[in-house]
Amino acid sequence: MNEATAGAIETAIREALRSLRPGAAGLDGDVDLAQEAGLDSAEVMDLVMEIEDRLDVSIPVETIAEARSINELCAGIARLKHDLS
Amino acid sequence: MSLLERFASQRALRVALEANRRVPPIATPMDAVHSATSATIDGRRVLLAGTNNYLGLTYDDECRAAAMAAIEALGTGTTGSRMASGNYAGHRELERALAAAFGWPAGIVFSTGYQANLGALSALASDGDFVLVDADSHASIHDGCRLSNATTIRFRHNDPENLDRRLTRLGEGARRTLIVVESLYSTLGDRAPLVEIAEIKRRHGAWLLVDEAHSFGVFGPRGLGLCEALGVLDEVDFIVGTFSKSLGGVGGFCVSRHAEVEQLRYVSRPYIFTASPPPPVIAATHQALRRVLQGHELRARLWQHAERLYREAARLGYRLGSSAPAPVASLVFDDRDRALALWQGLLDAGVYTNLMIPPATPAGLSLVRISLSAAHSVADLDLIIAALAAQAHESVLESTTAVDAGTF
Repeated sequence: MNEATAGAIETAIREALRSLRPGAAGLDGDVDLAQEAGLDSAEVMDLVMEIEDRLDVSIPVETIAEARSINELCAGIARLKHDLS
Repeated sequence: MSLLERFASQRALRVALEANRRVPPIATPMDAVHSATSATIDGRRVLLAGTNNYLGLTYDDECRAAAMAAIEALGTGTTGSRMASGNYAGHRELERALAAAFGWPAGIVFSTGYQANLGALSALASDGDFVLVDADSHASIHDGCRLSNATTIRFRHNDPENLDRRLTRLGEGARRTLIVVESLYSTLGDRAPLVEIAEIKRRHGAWLLVDEAHSFGVFGPRGLGLCEALGVLDEVDFIVGTFSKSLGGVGGFCVSRHAEVEQLRYVSRPYIFTASPPPPVIAATHQALRRVLQGHELRARLWQHAERLYREAARLGYRLGSSAPAPVASLVFDDRDRALALWQGLLDAGVYTNLMIPPATPAGLSLVRISLSAAHSVADLDLIIAALAAQAHESVLESTTAVDAGTF
C-alpha cells in the first residue's frame, strides 16, 4: 500500500470517528472499533457513510463486515481504492 | 466467550425496559384480540393503535368467509413447498391477480414478507452485480443483499444525490446495479423521493426494486402503492410487497414487468426451501386484494385519520418523524426514557402503540409509533388525541430542547 494513501485513509477514518465519538479518535489502530468506541451497528454504518464522503469512495457492506479495527478498515479501503484505480 | 454470553447485553436491555412495569413494552403480550382495533392487554381492554392493519381487513366478513371455506375444502396447510406438493390453484390464481393488478407478466408469492425480500434479492442479484440499498431499509432487504453474493453498497437514507454519486463511481457497473428502496419507511413514516430516484435510475441504466410493504393498499388510485400514486411505475422493474399489512394475512409477493422473473422459482432458495402459504391465508389474501383494488372508501377514511392525527400531534408540540402525514405517525425522542414514559402513559389511557428504540431505529432516536387503520372510528381518534394531549406537557418539554421538528 502506498504510504501517503494509507495515511490519508487513516486520517479520514479518525476524523469521521471524532465527529461521531470525540473521545474515540485516538483509539489504538488494532483494537475492536465498535466495542472500544461503544458504537452500535447503526452507528458503525453512520461512521462508514462519513468516511465514504470524506474519501469519495463507496465501501461495500462486505468490506465493513470484515474490518474490526481502524487498521483493518484502512487496509480494506486501500484495497478498494487500488482495485478502482 | 461461551456461545451464549453474547445475549447478556440484550438481556440487560430487556430487564431495564421491563423494570417496575406490569406490561413489557417490547413483545407486549396480548391476552386476547377482539377486532382490528381492540385487544385485551394485562386484563384491560385497549384500543389498538400499533398494528399494521391499515385497512382493517383482518376481520373483513368476506375475507374471513373465504378463509373458512378454504379450510373446509383444502385443509389447514399444504405441508409442501411450491416446488413439490404445495402448488395449489389458489397460489397460482393469486399470483396472476397480483401481476394483473400492475399490468405486468410476472408475479410470485412467498410465504412471508421477510422471505419475499430475501427471495427476490438473493435471486435477482449475484456475483459481479451491485446492489445499492437505502441505509435505512428493513432488515429483510439487508439480509436479502447478504444472501445474494452481490457487492452491496448503502447510500444515505432518502438522498438521491448520494445515490447518484455512488452510481457514477460504479461507471459501467451501474448497468449491473439493482437499486433497492422502500416507498414508505415505517420507522419514521417518511416517503422515498421516488420521482428523483426513478430519474437517476433511468439516467444510469440501472435497475430499480421498490418495497411497497407499508404503502400497498394505502397509496394510489387503486391502492397499488406510492409508485402508482407518483406515476413512476413505468420506471420500476420489480415491486415487492407483503400480505401482512393492508392485506391482513401473512406472506409476500414480487411482481415485475420482466417475464424472466418467473424463473426465480427455480433459483430462489427462500421460495424453494419452505412450505407454501396455507389455503385459508391464500384465500383471505386474494379476497383482500379485491377489496384493496376497490377500497377507495377505506383509503379515504384512513387518510382522514392520518391527516387529523398528524395535525393534532404537531399542534400539541410533538416532534414528528415525517414531514407529511402517513398512516404511521412517529413521535420522536432523543431520550429513551421519555419515549418509554409516553408509551406507558398512552397504554394507561387505553391506547396501545409501538415503542421503538436503538439500534432498531435510525440516528439513535427513540420513537413512539402510532399506526392507524380504516377500521378506527372518529371516536377512536378522539381517544388517541386526548391521550396524547394528556401526556403532551411532559413529553413535549423534553423534545423541544432537542432538534427542531420536521428535520426528517
